Amino acid sequence: MGFRSWISVALQLTMATALLVGCSQPAATPDSAASSGANGVTLKMVESITSPQRTALLKEMLAQFEAKNPGIKVDLISPPFEGADQKITQMLMAKEELDVLEVREFNAKQFSMNGFIENLKPYTDKWQNYDQLTDVAKRRATWVDKTPYYIPNGLYQRVLYYRTDWFNEAGIEVPKTWDELLVAAKKLTDPAKNRYGYSFRGGATGWDYAMITMWAYNGTEVDPDSAFFMKDGRTIFSTPQSLEAMQYYKQLYKEASPKDSVSWGFQEMVQGFVAGSTAMLIQDPDVIDGAKEKMQEGTWATAPIPIGPSGVAQQVVGGPGWGMTSYSKHKEEAWKLIEFLSEPEQSTHFAKKTSTIPVVKSAAEDEFYKTGYFQPFIEMSQQPTKFLDVSRPVDYKGWGAWQSTADKDIQSFLLDQFTAEDLLKKWDQYWTKEKAERK
Amino acid sequence: MDTQKPIVTMTKQVVPEGKKSFRISKEGRFIFLCLLPAILFVSVFTYYPLVRGIIMSFQNYTLFDLMNIQFIGLDNFVIVLTSPDFPRVAMNSFYWVFFSLVFQLLFGFMLALLMRKKFRGRGIYQAFIFFPWAMSGFLIGLIWRWMFNAQFGVINDLLLKTGLIEAPISFLADGAWAMAAVIIANIWYGVAFFAIMILAALQSIPEELYEAAAMDGAGRIQQFWRVTLPYIMPTMLVTILLRVIWILNFPDIIYAMTNGAPAGSTHIFATYMIDKVIFGQDYGQASAVGVIIVLILMLFTIFYVKATKVEKGGDF
Repeated sequence: MGFRSWISVALQLTMATALLVGCSQPAATPDSAASSGANGVTLKMVESITSPQRTALLKEMLAQFEAKNPGIKVDLISPPFEGADQKITQMLMAKEELDVLEVREFNAKQFSMNGFIENLKPYTDKWQNYDQLTDVAKRRATWVDKTPYYIPNGLYQRVLYYRTDWFNEAGIEVPKTWDELLVAAKKLTDPAKNRYGYSFRGGATGWDYAMITMWAYNGTEVDPDSAFFMKDGRTIFSTPQSLEAMQYYKQLYKEASPKDSVSWGFQEMVQGFVAGSTAMLIQDPDVIDGAKEKMQEGTWATAPIPIGPSGVAQQVVGGPGWGMTSYSKHKEEAWKLIEFLSEPEQSTHFAKKTSTIPVVKSAAEDEFYKTGYFQPFIEMSQQPTKFLDVSRPVDYKGWGAWQSTADKDIQSFLLDQFTAEDLLKKWDQYWTKEKAERK
Repeated sequence: MDTQKPIVTMTKQVVPEGKKSFRISKEGRFIFLCLLPAILFVSVFTYYPLVRGIIMSFQNYTLFDLMNIQFIGLDNFVIVLTSPDFPRVAMNSFYWVFFSLVFQLLFGFMLALLMRKKFRGRGIYQAFIFFPWAMSGFLIGLIWRWMFNAQFGVINDLLLKTGLIEAPISFLADGAWAMAAVIIANIWYGVAFFAIMILAALQSIPEELYEAAAMDGAGRIQQFWRVTLPYIMPTMLVTILLRVIWILNFPDIIYAMTNGAPAGSTHIFATYMIDKVIFGQDYGQASAVGVIIVLILMLFTIFYVKATKVEKGGDF
């Protein structure tokens, strides 16, 4: 080959390499960074429930960790909230360099089944603060196969938000049961004033609200470990109580909620409440901050979620947390980081700042949680026989497919294209089949 | 270069192992190396995902169980095609493409005609018109979702204030209204593209053609039908083809505005596919929907190209 050909070959190769390097994920960099410096390790960490404030808080905490542990650096990845879990799943599937990740209760099973995340038992056995976790937090941690796959960083539990001024004006008490809630909601509904009793959720994952109602109607007969089934093995959708619950649910939508709430998601239902169009809202504690900002002090308050005719109220307490990848090359350091973030002091600080329920027992004594808007959460956790924590059957193969059609089914039902009987029959058949196939 | 000389020659040589060997001429090697980056780029970023998607559509690829992926024949296609949602998704996709396209073309054409003549501030005016095209579809969806909100939406507010309606319309709670709402948002978004393309074509029409037409006694309307339209026809035909492909493949607005709600009445193929991935976590079925989209577009394109003779400049 002549000189010119050699030059051209060299140029082509350079270009091709540059192209490939430029387009590949930056996964290669931490490795080189990790090997540089005396026993320096760079951990890669990814969070799921991202927001600018939360990311800033986390970075602050990571800086503290780095100061305490010279030689360990942490690179935080914060994908946009919408699609963060998909991004994390893709990173795991591609075995991208990653050591610590935020696991959600709904993907924990999937991650553990596919061998993406590490069993933390060897670490928690030696960890003195493990017993500091509240019962609910421990249940979330060991949700999959009774094995700790992650350490929760905050709990998402729902309470009732209500407009104290409207309630006072109408001379009514805060509802304690679903029946009382409907009565109050109807009384406060006045479409002419653009006022409605209840911030209904018919849009994305609205099925969860239908489930809460059905659980409250079926009471303690519901199997808490797999709450789409009764303790006797039937599906929850086969009971007369569920039929009653769904009829109630439709009444709540038709008689006390805005018509377009059939497609309301999180944003709309919260906006409906804080902007003064709805009187009641059932939501997680992270709404408190937004409500504080937008609503006048004294016009709203929080209360425990209503109970059903059975005398109890169930819900799935959400608890995301920190887990470790099974293929991490720096497991000891990764655990150090998880341990640091889960120390009672750090984790209470994190929960306070992110407006979630803390995972450690000591927080119940904290003034911040004992009074004000957070008080109902403590009140509820002190009555564990009345306010029950249950689990969804996310460990079933058909969970995903059910979830993708559940909202649509409920919307069809609310819009009278489907009867309550048809809806429940469809779900009953689906879950009966799922259960049979699983055995 | 000598055009008669073959670029790649294959010669049989006596090799001890009896293997055939290839000998590529210098020029061939040079050309191949020049093409290499482009080939690599296209293979990695276009063909690999495409082939992978087609393969996945024949597998039980669900996130629930990645350790047990097998070929399952046409099962995914059967499930998708026999699903009770399918006819509605297909119908919606048709409405979505048809109405979006017709109105985008109409308004785009009108805007292009208006902007053809020079006037003060035309540049700024043009920039404003082209602005939506530079925005993210997802963001547009979010904006329109709030505009169509029954409680706080500006559209209901305007209609109420002008006295056209007496009670707010729940646009996104009613299947037909919701479909109309997402199409309106898409029309708003796509008008700019037609305006840009048609304006460019209009500006390339030589002034002499109009002068000649005027001398022959053609009026304004005749000039439009006989000069303007035939001249810009090739651009229009290609733009329409491109837009049909893009609109059918464009889930952003619907995903952000309704995500198929209420009761699946605004799902098109593209959003249905996303739904299967995000909520259903079933990459196999989602890929099957993707393959169906590709087939539909291929059939459409073949038919369209044949019917309109696009390659001959649309000379009917």
